[in-house]
Amino acid sequence: MVTNRGRQRDRVFRAISDPTRREILGILRGGGKTVGGVAQRFRMSRPAISKHLRLLHHAGLVAIRKEGTASICTLNALPLRQVDDWLNDYQAFWTESLQSLKKHMEEEQ
Amino acid sequence: MSPIRVQDDRIVQEVVIKAPAERIFRALTKPDELLKWWCAEGKFKVVNAECDLQPGGSWRMKVSGAGIEASTSTVYGQYETIEPPHLLTYTWIRENEELPETLVRWDLNEKDGYTTVRVTHSGLITESLRRRNNGWPLVVSLLSAYFDQRE
Repeated sequence: MVTNRGRQRDRVFRAISDPTRREILGILRGGGKTVGGVAQRFRMSRPAISKHLRLLHHAGLVAIRKEGTASICTLNALPLRQVDDWLNDYQAFWTESLQSLKKHMEEEQ
Repeated sequence: MSPIRVQDDRIVQEVVIKAPAERIFRALTKPDELLKWWCAEGKFKVVNAECDLQPGGSWRMKVSGAGIEASTSTVYGQYETIEPPHLLTYTWIRENEELPETLVRWDLNEKDGYTTVRVTHSGLITESLRRRNNGWPLVVSLLSAYFDQRE
């Protein structure tokens, strides 16, 4: 079953699954930047960077606002909370799995 | 600013088990064994397992009431390194999840009748995300709930 929460989380995962986009998030962690300001940190074309920024925006990770002719991009870390939650679940999953393995192995002796 | 380090993107967990590594290795790689132990009461349970134990061979597990999220889900992947009884690695992919392939690694280290089992699940997220969640408060609460339940 795919829930709304699941879909939103998938968007966040897709957004951070790409190294360029992770690097963009890292750059924005240091403060808001124009699209051009972000693009000049990369070798790839500005349209390519704009595309990455749109995807990040779609995932809710980057806010984009107009200031005159410039578009200012800022980081919004809040959706990452969903990744945190998901990861916490995984952490618990492995802990529980190991405890179960231990119990099973030691009980049969 | 330090770049986000993807290679540090992992969960590592360890447990010491009073059993030979060889026995544990078998429990990790045989379908009927997986069905016996891989569960957490009231949370999740492996209900179906297939293992083609050879490098490049496929494995697949159906997990019911998965602790990761309610309802049944399927995880699958391919074996990469198989070195019984010390090392096992395989890719781990969850169906319907927008994640790149992740990797699970089991290290088994036997000494004086005890085996240290370490599981490393890598490729999950980025180091910076992990740092943000300093101390894993939620995990701690989940864990203590788990152990309380076992008392």
